[in-house]
Amino acid sequence: MVAHSLDSMTSDRKGLLLLISLLVLLSSGCGTRQVVVEGRFPSPLMEPLPITLGVVYSDEFANHEFYDEAVGRNESDWLVRTGDAQVEFWNTLLGGMFERVVIIKDHDTLHAIDAPIDAVLIPYVEDLQYTIPLHTNIKVYEIWMRYRFRLVDVSSIHDHDNGDISYYPTESFADFQLSAYGKTPTAFLQSDEEAVNLAAVVALRDAGAHFATAFERVPEVATWLQTIEDKTRDQ
Amino acid sequence: MAVLISAIVVLTGCVNATVDEMTFLEPTEGIGDRSVVILGRRHAPDYETEFEFIECVGDHIRTGDPSITVIGERQFLDTLYPWFEPRTAPLRTEDIDTLLKEAPVAKELSALKLEYMVWIDGTTVETNSSGSMTCGVGPGGAGCFGFGTWGEASDYEATIWGLSDKAEVGRIAANTSGQSYMPAVVVPIPIIAPVQGTACDSLGDQLLKYLSAQY
Repeated sequence: MVAHSLDSMTSDRKGLLLLISLLVLLSSGCGTRQVVVEGRFPSPLMEPLPITLGVVYSDEFANHEFYDEAVGRNESDWLVRTGDAQVEFWNTLLGGMFERVVIIKDHDTLHAIDAPIDAVLIPYVEDLQYTIPLHTNIKVYEIWMRYRFRLVDVSSIHDHDNGDISYYPTESFADFQLSAYGKTPTAFLQSDEEAVNLAAVVALRDAGAHFATAFERVPEVATWLQTIEDKTRDQ
Repeated sequence: MAVLISAIVVLTGCVNATVDEMTFLEPTEGIGDRSVVILGRRHAPDYETEFEFIECVGDHIRTGDPSITVIGERQFLDTLYPWFEPRTAPLRTEDIDTLLKEAPVAKELSALKLEYMVWIDGTTVETNSSGSMTCGVGPGGAGCFGFGTWGEASDYEATIWGLSDKAEVGRIAANTSGQSYMPAVVVPIPIIAPVQGTACDSLGDQLLKYLSAQY
């Protein structure tokens, strides 16, 4: 039936349409597939730690994206933008974990702080990897992320004339990593982009679950929390 | 046409189902004003219990006995975040005590009047497929010709935890399998074996018998 339909196309117009269709088909595997991660993130159900935490999201973190170039002719380039979702997610999580959270963006916000800050948290996404069924032949989309967190004293945050802020990594009193993993199975009427987005949202939730349950168990953090508790008791 | 419809009706019923049940401490008067939540296990690396399946079992219970409060899984996971994520979810009944040491969690579970937590672990997989089908479009119309068939198997196990006793009070397993067919002479006629749906109904029926005073 396909052969018949092709034979019957004799006019120039039909030929042109066919050519365009073929070009669309051939080019469909060559473009960049883009995912801007979006999701709904719940606040954690836990007793907030009696701490005022400063948070610095570096530009790299706030605009985090992952680009993977296609290796085969049948594959596409992938661009996964997680920055906005990262900021939204960590704001929600940290806001529920600590009594007060102050986002330190620049020189102005650093100097506008009206209450003593116990420590400043600086998160990084060190690595992000993904797999789609095309890579693995398993009907699952996966996202894996590795984070690094540094805690510094607020006095270690330096401001510059241009308004930027910086710190020396060696001045951090706690430096720890954690990994996060998210997967979602293939589903009927679900595009690759939707599935990768869903896997990223699951990975973010996993990162939050990991952070919320492991934070107080990091040895340097436990020592720091104990110091704050002792200080509060003495007062 | 009548023969064709009859054939479809007969073939759609072509699912084998096996249900195993072992329950104790059955609530003789039902669960009253207490509630139940049905949750999927998702910590295995190569599969995860489908959200849709959990929703199906919950709907089956709600439809069977509207007096039973079944808390939606997604709502429960969001409300209790981060304690029921794949990484943090309790795997043994002994973990309930640890969980209840978190005061906000204990308070929330109490507010939800949660009496039973049902964990469902399993998935539905395609076991085989064969046949071929060709479809085409021409100026005179479109059509398909060929024959395809595929098999599916569902394997689910529900574990019931009683929160008052902090103990496992039952285990129900449902295994189903079936073969679907798709003959096509111009128009494809899907004859689908409701493998996952049968597993959902089987588990739902057994859970209803346990939870409801009406069954």
